[in-house]
This record gives sequence, structure tokens and C-alpha cells, in this order.
Amino acid sequence: MRFMVFVRSPSPLAALHGDALRHAGVLLDAGDLVPGACGVSGYWLIDVRDHEEAVERVKRIGLPACVVEIRQVAVV
Amino acid sequence: MGATSVHRTVDAVWRMESAKVIAALARYVRDVGLAEEMAQDALVQALEQWPEQGVPRNPGAWLMTTAKRRAVDQIRRRENFARKVEEIGRDVQETTPDAAEGIEDEIGDDLLSLMFTACHPVLGTEARVALTLKMLGGLKTEEIARAFLVSDATVAQRIVRAKKTLADAGVPFEVPEGPELASRLASVLEVLYLIFNEGYSATQGDDWLRPELCAEALRLGRVLAELAPKEAEVHGLVALMEIQASRTRARTGPGGEPVLLLEQDRGKWDWLLIGRGLKALERAEALNQPPGPYYVQAALAACHARARKAEDTDWQRIAALYQVLAGISPSPIVELNRAVALSMAFGPAAGLALVDEIAGEKALQGYHLLPSVRGDFLVKLGRTAEAKAEFEKAASLTRNERERTLLLERAASC
Repeated sequence: MRFMVFVRSPSPLAALHGDALRHAGVLLDAGDLVPGACGVSGYWLIDVRDHEEAVERVKRIGLPACVVEIRQVAVV
Repeated sequence: MGATSVHRTVDAVWRMESAKVIAALARYVRDVGLAEEMAQDALVQALEQWPEQGVPRNPGAWLMTTAKRRAVDQIRRRENFARKVEEIGRDVQETTPDAAEGIEDEIGDDLLSLMFTACHPVLGTEARVALTLKMLGGLKTEEIARAFLVSDATVAQRIVRAKKTLADAGVPFEVPEGPELASRLASVLEVLYLIFNEGYSATQGDDWLRPELCAEALRLGRVLAELAPKEAEVHGLVALMEIQASRTRARTGPGGEPVLLLEQDRGKWDWLLIGRGLKALERAEALNQPPGPYYVQAALAACHARARKAEDTDWQRIAALYQVLAGISPSPIVELNRAVALSMAFGPAAGLALVDEIAGEKALQGYHLLPSVRGDFLVKLGRTAEAKAEFEKAASLTRNERERTLLLERAASC
């Protein structure tokens, strides 16, 4: 299953390079979004077995205070 | 968090962490079988404790610490392992859940050692596949059994025997070096590609886990590419799997019937995976190593992937690549594929000449695609009476009912 992980933070996010996800073989794509009113945003596209695994993998990344949204990609 | 939700979390954590825990333990106890048992013990404790006490802040480190404590308990019972007790005991003191991030670098080497051990050539193919999925993929015995359509007991037995074989043979827990590395790496790649193909060929049936095998092989391949970035064949295999996986949705029609590559709707191909595959191929090329079989097969797959329409396919390059592949891994099947490519690139007479050269090969006797391909060339050359006989022969050889019908239809149309 594919999940899109959106991260919104008031400060730049070096962690968005997603090394841990890449080392685990689940990172398909990553990128920055154009900064908006909520600050800096970026995304990861990951391929994992289920929602629980998506949550657990993202929880392991040392993110600063920010908003994280994990959404399953509809059609793959 | 309810008990069911905790169990789902435990499952997810186990899939993510079990390989690391087993690998780290194996470094100390030098026995992957024992390491796997201790990791399983830690899992049982997690299943008992987490629903009541809650999921720990760092569940991976919790599993690691618990498993290492089990290792200390086990080894304390054996007097001649006093040195190891001291080593692990010290490590348990140092490995608190909060310190877990610091061991990531060591884990990489341990994981690589675990891959090489699980795929050791001393084991048979089925044992290597089962052990890899169990210890590196974190799959349960019943999940592996379901994926390979065998009983749980069969898989359990395979795993037990494999662990015993490794212990009896004294297989060292390490990354091989020097001349041994190439053959051992080939064994690892073979296992990953076998797992991938087991999932990839399962286009029929409704067992959800077979596509999961594909995904797991691809994930392990990507992990291996991170751990061994200077090995071109690893990137070659990843490229091959990414590109093949990109066609999954286009490979079957609405009734589940297989759709041949040139007839597939390329709009259904997964262009994200194609992009990843092409990048992996570039990484392999950048290493400037002699081409290996996975690299060449990936380059072949890339020729199709780069063509937006079937008629844009670069058949001359495909024919040339098959010639390279025939030089690395000679086989009549490769030659048959080369004949098809030659036919597409230079006309049916060129393909027919090669098919007639290899028609006497023992390995191709009884192989339905030989007369099927020959019949196709003959039709294009206007030799319909001979083509009809070839299609009828192919129909009599195939074991696939749908294919037999198709071949008989082609014979009737000649």
C-alpha cells in the first residue's frame, strides 16, 4: 500500500530527506512543497504493508514540532 | 489503545524491527537460529506486556533490549560462553531505548551479514527463500506457507532444517570478502528475484499475499542497494524488479487473462516505478563494471519502458542486448528471445534463421513457444501451410488451456 505523508512545520526540515525511510526500502519519492501560510511543507511517498506500519515508520523519524498527515494513496 | 490495535502495532513493529534485532543478536551469539529464537521470545513478551502496559516510546529498542536479556539468560546456562555473557551483558547495560539511534550504523553491517547468511549456498533454494522471508522480511510462518501454497508445517520444517544446516556447517556470520563475495552475492540476488517472481507470476487467484511477495522482494532489493551501493548487479536487479513491477496493472485483462507486453495499455504502467528503475539502471551503469545478467535484463526491460508506444520499441538494441545476455548466461531460451528481437528488428527471415539453428536444442524439445514463435515467423513470410502445422504442434505442447485455444485459433486462420 502506498501512503503520502505530508509534513508541515514552521522551520526548515532537514529530516525530510527521509534517510531512514530510504534505508528501509520503503521510500518511493520525497519532495518539498512551496512554502505556505503554515510554513515549510514537504512530503514522502512510502510503500508499506498497512497504515500501522506507515504510522510506526513516521514516528521513528526525529521531527521537530510539526503537523504530520498520513493518507493512503487511492489507486496503485 | 485497544488490544486489537496494539496487536496490529506489534505486527507492524515486528515487520520493521525483527531483522535488525535478529542481525544484532546474531553478531553476538554467532548463530542465526538462536538469535531468531530469542527475537521471537521478545515478540511473545511484547504481545503479553504491551496490551497492558502500552506500546513503549521506542518499541524497536525495547525488542532489542528484551531479546538481548534473553540471550544473556540463555548463555549464562552454558559455562563455556562466559566471555560472550560479559560482552552481551555490557551491551545490554549500554543499549537503553533512548540510545537506540546510535546503533544504526552497526545494524547496517549486521543486516548485510544476515542476508548473506540466510542466502548461503549451503542451503537449498526453498530453504533460502523461507529463511529470507522469515528473518529479513519479518513474515510469519503461516504467511510464507500461504504465499507458496504449502502447509505451515512444511515451511516450519524448512526453517528448522535450514537453521540446523547453517549451524552444522559452521557458516560464519559475516559479509564475505574477496573472490567469495561475487558468488555469495549472486546467491542473495537469486533468492530476491525468486521471491519477486513468485509474486509476479501470481496474476491469477485472489491470495493477497502473493503481490506482497513482489513488494517484499523489491523492498529487500532496495535495502540491499543501500547496504552494497558499489555492486552494479544489485542496482541491476533493483532496476529489473522496479520496471517489471511497473507493469503489474497492465498485465491482466478484465477477465484475468494475461495481456502480452506489446499489447498492454501503457497508460496503466506505473511511471513512478519506471522512473525509479531507470535511475537504478543509471547507478549500475555509473559503476563501470562488466555487465551481469540482472543488469542486462534490466536494460532490456528499460528498452520497453522507454517506448511510449509498442511501435517505438528499439528492437535493434534489444537484439544486441540479448546477444550480450547470451554471452553471459547462454541458454536456448535467451536465443529464442533473441530470434524474436531479430525478427522485429530485421524481419521474420532473420528470426527464422536463428530459430532453425537452435531447434535441435534438447532444452527446447517439448517447449511450446519454439513452434509458436516459428509459426509466427512463417505466417509473416507467407508460408501458411507450414505455419499451421507449427501452431498445431505448439497447441499440443502447451499445458495452458487459454493458450491452447489461442494457438488453435491461429492454426485455423492459416
